[in-house]
Amino acid sequence: MLSRIAESLFWLARYIERAEGTARILDVNYHMLLEESQASYRLRWEPLIIMAGEEDRFRKRYSEVNAENVFEFLAFREDNPSSIVQCISKARENARTIRDRISREMWEDINGFYHMATGFDAREEIAAGPHRFCDRTKFGSQRFHGVTDATLPHDEGWQFLRVGWALERAEMTARLVDVQYHNLLDEFGLAGAADNHQWMAVLRSVGAYEAYHRTYHPPIEPERVAEMLILNPQHPHSIRFNAAEVQAGLRAVSGTGMGAYANEAERLAGKMVDRLSYDRISEIFSQGLHGYLTDLVGMCGAIGDDIARTYFYYAVVA
Amino acid sequence: MSVSPVNHLSQGIFEGYDTGGFYDEMFSSPGHPRPPYAKVFQKLASMAPVHFEARRRLADISFLIQGITFTVYSDGRGTERLFPFDLIPRILARSEWERINRGLSQRVVALNHFLQDIYGEQSILKDGRIPRSLVYSCPHFRREVIGVNVPHGIHTHICGIDLVRDSKTGEFCVLEDNVRTPSGVSYVLENRLVMKRTFPDAFQAAEVLPVNHYPSELSRILRSLSPRGTDDAQIVLLTPGIYNSAYFEHSFLAQQMGIELVEGRDLIVDGGTVYMKTIRGLKRVDVIYRRVDDEFLDPLAFRADSILGVPGLMGAYRAGNVALANAVGNGVADDKAIYAYVPEFIRYYLGEEPVLRTVETYICAKRADLSYTLEHLPELVVKAVGESGGYGMLIGPDADSATIERFRERIQANPRNYIAQPVVALSRVPSYDANEGRVGGRHVDLRPYCLYDGKDVTIVPGGLTRVALQRGSLVVNSSQGGGSKDTWVLRGED
Repeated sequence: MLSRIAESLFWLARYIERAEGTARILDVNYHMLLEESQASYRLRWEPLIIMAGEEDRFRKRYSEVNAENVFEFLAFREDNPSSIVQCISKARENARTIRDRISREMWEDINGFYHMATGFDAREEIAAGPHRFCDRTKFGSQRFHGVTDATLPHDEGWQFLRVGWALERAEMTARLVDVQYHNLLDEFGLAGAADNHQWMAVLRSVGAYEAYHRTYHPPIEPERVAEMLILNPQHPHSIRFNAAEVQAGLRAVSGTGMGAYANEAERLAGKMVDRLSYDRISEIFSQGLHGYLTDLVGMCGAIGDDIARTYFYYAVVA
Repeated sequence: MSVSPVNHLSQGIFEGYDTGGFYDEMFSSPGHPRPPYAKVFQKLASMAPVHFEARRRLADISFLIQGITFTVYSDGRGTERLFPFDLIPRILARSEWERINRGLSQRVVALNHFLQDIYGEQSILKDGRIPRSLVYSCPHFRREVIGVNVPHGIHTHICGIDLVRDSKTGEFCVLEDNVRTPSGVSYVLENRLVMKRTFPDAFQAAEVLPVNHYPSELSRILRSLSPRGTDDAQIVLLTPGIYNSAYFEHSFLAQQMGIELVEGRDLIVDGGTVYMKTIRGLKRVDVIYRRVDDEFLDPLAFRADSILGVPGLMGAYRAGNVALANAVGNGVADDKAIYAYVPEFIRYYLGEEPVLRTVETYICAKRADLSYTLEHLPELVVKAVGESGGYGMLIGPDADSATIERFRERIQANPRNYIAQPVVALSRVPSYDANEGRVGGRHVDLRPYCLYDGKDVTIVPGGLTRVALQRGSLVVNSSQGGGSKDTWVLRGED
């Protein structure tokens, strides 16, 4: 497989996942706030901008942090490279450069997704609230997963998609937990879980609300929520689950067996899986959640870099 | 499929259709379809216009979702546009097609002989059948490939020869030979697909010859060129990338043939061999179906500023380590001044008379032709010899005097760069005009795609019918408001 194609598959998956993740968070945040006091608005919307790493850009553009502005910025803005529409456009652009290598169904699906996303009238959607737009985005992303799974041979190209998807999702979940904890704990403290709604919203944003209730007894405890999202071995949005996916995908490409690694990306993925398999949530909290998650995000970045070094880039030979 | 009842006297979308004094391919006279069109006319005319319009919209959506677009650069951003598709098919009778097929095959073989000769022995120059100066002054004549042995002596693997039907005689003649990197065949295949989905009933009733064997035939030919034998030949399609107007076609053909679609940056030449950069290291490439023009292929041999090409590619080509299709240097054969000599090539190399007529051509490099051209500019079409896509052209009867004078100066400054031809009144085929909500006669041409394997020429029945969708326009190019139609060659005898 051409290096350029592997790279496009990897980024195609990452952009789609980023669009979906952003949509989930937007939607959940909005609905949670319908039941909130006006005073807490800024507090609730700011973390979303921080998560996206786009504070500077946002401030240059808007004077106020409110639902309409954040929604517009994260969903539609052309000058925000991580807006949902931009992510979908970039995913489609990547697909377009490799449309001979993906299935016809995949191409038509993502192309339709793109036309759907760019066809929304931003002003009308902002007036109506983010639910419709976010729902379509989530559904579009999930459908693309399904179409991919059902029509693309599960060969090495598929493994690059799988790694891209999982790596992006691991990072998104780590940022989500980090930002929400920081925010909510500042306000209420660990014990003051009076704000049940907030934690429900965090769980809902990754579709883990029902699963949480099957795993733990009520009430919703912040530490359990963190455990669910970081360490759960089965939930498709937990960091551990996705680290294992990254590791499995990388091994499938290189053909490396258990207990060994063929490159730095595999070493780091293995290390991540091990930590997430054997660390306890109490240990994580006592050493500091923020530091722990920052570490994981850093590892995700390093894995991405080494995948590029190993598989995508050729040194220029004169 | 339900069809709403319409008045028996009504002709649906054809109501009030006017053939306008042109050769109309569908109607011999108003309301009377020619035999090959009889069944389609019956189906379409019995359909309520709103139902036709509904199917047309479905077809458009289908093209959009499939991303069958081309890119236009006039707005500076490179916008993707749909290539407008007209749902009324263009139909050729079997006997008519057989004659076209014979004429094109003959022409492709003669063009190939010419290229093999001109980059080899040059016997045609020695025998004085074409002026040496005309060949050597051609900007697409590549001295770099003189003496290069191409696999099986094939230069013209893929040709897209443009034909028009002269309204005066009703006869098909050749307008230009595209023997470099002709595009458009993907539309032939996609139009057919959409047509079959949109009008399955009309399609089936007409008994149309299939076209979808094109990719496998092309793939077979490419495979046969491999310098390492055909079993494990690595074949790639070299594209300039997603910003090229024909990118859709490049990816489409690569996918249909199951070959790798590469850009220049995916390839590297080492020790006179071409490799592609894969996730498992370098892998040797044997055959390149290149959709990059000669001058951009190799910055070491041609344009040094090209970033689309592969440094060292020409070295590997000359050494016979990689095959290119089409061969390098073909542009000399589709130069518009050389065009006038193709009938001569057919006589010289094949000892046959041309089956298809060419359009009378005045070569401004010749003194007598030049003075005739300058005296008759308002009646003539003037073309720059190396241009394609409808650019660099003067249509005398439509031009104002300032434009004519501008061309006069240009021609006088560089006569070799121009030829002139009488205006050919193109035939028309009824086409749906969405703005007017009805059918009008629109001018068409025909580009069949010819594949040559060194022995036989294979042409998928029909080809691309391009249609000038604007009323009265003669320009069929997609970049200038043209669209296309599905082209049917009927199975049955006429």
